[in-house]
Amino acid sequence: MGTATTTAAPAVVPEEDRRQRAVESLTLAEGQPVERLDRITRLARTIFEVPFSSIAVLDGDRAWFASIQGADLRGLPRQETFSDRADSDSVLLVVEDTASDPRFADLPAVTDDGIRFYAGQPLRDSMGNVLGTLGLFDVRPRTLDQEQLTTLVDLAAWAEQELTASTEMTQARRVQSSLLPARPVRVPGWTVDGLCLPALAVGGDFYDYGVGHSVAHVSLGDVMGKGTGAALLGAGVRAAIRGTHEAVVAGVDLGITATQVARSLLPDLERAESFVTLLEAAVDLDDGFVRLVDAGSGLALVVRADGTATHLRSEDRPFGVLPDDHWSEQQLDLDPGDRLLLFSDGLLDLLDDPVDWVPELGALVHRAEDGPGVLASVLALGHARTPLDDVTAVVVVRERGQ
Amino acid sequence: MIEIDVFRRPDGVAVVVPQGRLNMVAARQMKDLLAILLEEGSSRIVVDLDRTTFLDSSGLGALIGGLKGARQAGGDLRIARPTPEVLTVFQLTNMDKVLRPRDDVESAFDA
Repeated sequence: MGTATTTAAPAVVPEEDRRQRAVESLTLAEGQPVERLDRITRLARTIFEVPFSSIAVLDGDRAWFASIQGADLRGLPRQETFSDRADSDSVLLVVEDTASDPRFADLPAVTDDGIRFYAGQPLRDSMGNVLGTLGLFDVRPRTLDQEQLTTLVDLAAWAEQELTASTEMTQARRVQSSLLPARPVRVPGWTVDGLCLPALAVGGDFYDYGVGHSVAHVSLGDVMGKGTGAALLGAGVRAAIRGTHEAVVAGVDLGITATQVARSLLPDLERAESFVTLLEAAVDLDDGFVRLVDAGSGLALVVRADGTATHLRSEDRPFGVLPDDHWSEQQLDLDPGDRLLLFSDGLLDLLDDPVDWVPELGALVHRAEDGPGVLASVLALGHARTPLDDVTAVVVVRERGQ
Repeated sequence: MIEIDVFRRPDGVAVVVPQGRLNMVAARQMKDLLAILLEEGSSRIVVDLDRTTFLDSSGLGALIGGLKGARQAGGDLRIARPTPEVLTVFQLTNMDKVLRPRDDVESAFDA
């Protein structure tokens, strides 16, 4: 940086602006009941034996109830809230008798609704912004002992988690879904389609495909583990493979491009102590010639038009295991009526026999009407048995008579 | 948490016996345990998988991490007696070439 601008003051975002932005990043909407928050307010009402409890979000000049028990109220002007009248809205507030405290005695809640007791604990995000309040209301004056105060703070900590963590994860999930292909590839004679069911909000599985020079370039990766860490690495792997798309569809040996990708990812994978299994295929849509590389996945299945299922194998290991490894291309033909299924090991857990899975999965692929039908069957398995791990599948279908 | 037994043979080989499901949660435990063994100078490690009922990618990752660490320290990590379910994981990933399953714990470091 230069030294000429030493007098420039850092931009200061007023606290209320920063707070309001944090509120706007929540994925909650006024008037929509949220069960995970209702659980907390219900419990609060029972534990403290109060007629009303709420989680209020402080939104501009309004306070609206993301959850409320005992009253049918959507919100109120912020200046009519207890927290707004308090000296600070960022500390625990207990008003043992509202009518005898001049700060609160003229609030409509007191004069019109007969509220005589209020306790409210602020709810913050990870940056410390106050997003709202967990509140208890009673129609009689009362007190909270030390143990009850601790319980209120505990419940508020839980409410904070539910307010913010799920917001971040919902957004992360949306971003991750947007990295998957938006629609199947449908060209005369062919369909390529995929499906990804993360076990948690986001996952380490991904798939991708695109067409160039009449070649469908398909990939399916599975980063070790599941959840956010795996998802971050997965996005990087996907991008690295995308970087080879032009070369792959132009006909460059997949073993060469995959080895390049593996080399570029190795430092990241080693630092993260992770590894990735990958299936990558280039399907010539003119003649059905398929080039395939299998980096330690072992989960590629060809189902011929007559229903014969063949498990494709390789000798290659995952990316990120040994620095000197290299990867090699194998080749096969897809004739009319043949189908190729690439999938992640999360699907194995959903089968009757995760060890001898070729017959069951082969039948599933063969029975289905078309590509989307194969994925619908996989989805049905996921619904029938809760997936323990991310479940991902890509199907390449060459139609009969083409 | 799963139970992971550890004992040292007179010849200095450390034997690690994870019991139950070696999944994402247990993998953390396994990783830490292998790191401690390496820190204490036990770089020859046998992981006895006879009582491991399930192994996922995180569990495999913990073993790969241990293998790398052991080799860097001049030793090795070997696996013995995987159940058919667990053996499948090594075979599909082709990790059975690097982590070759041994028939028994005693002779895992012979040859």
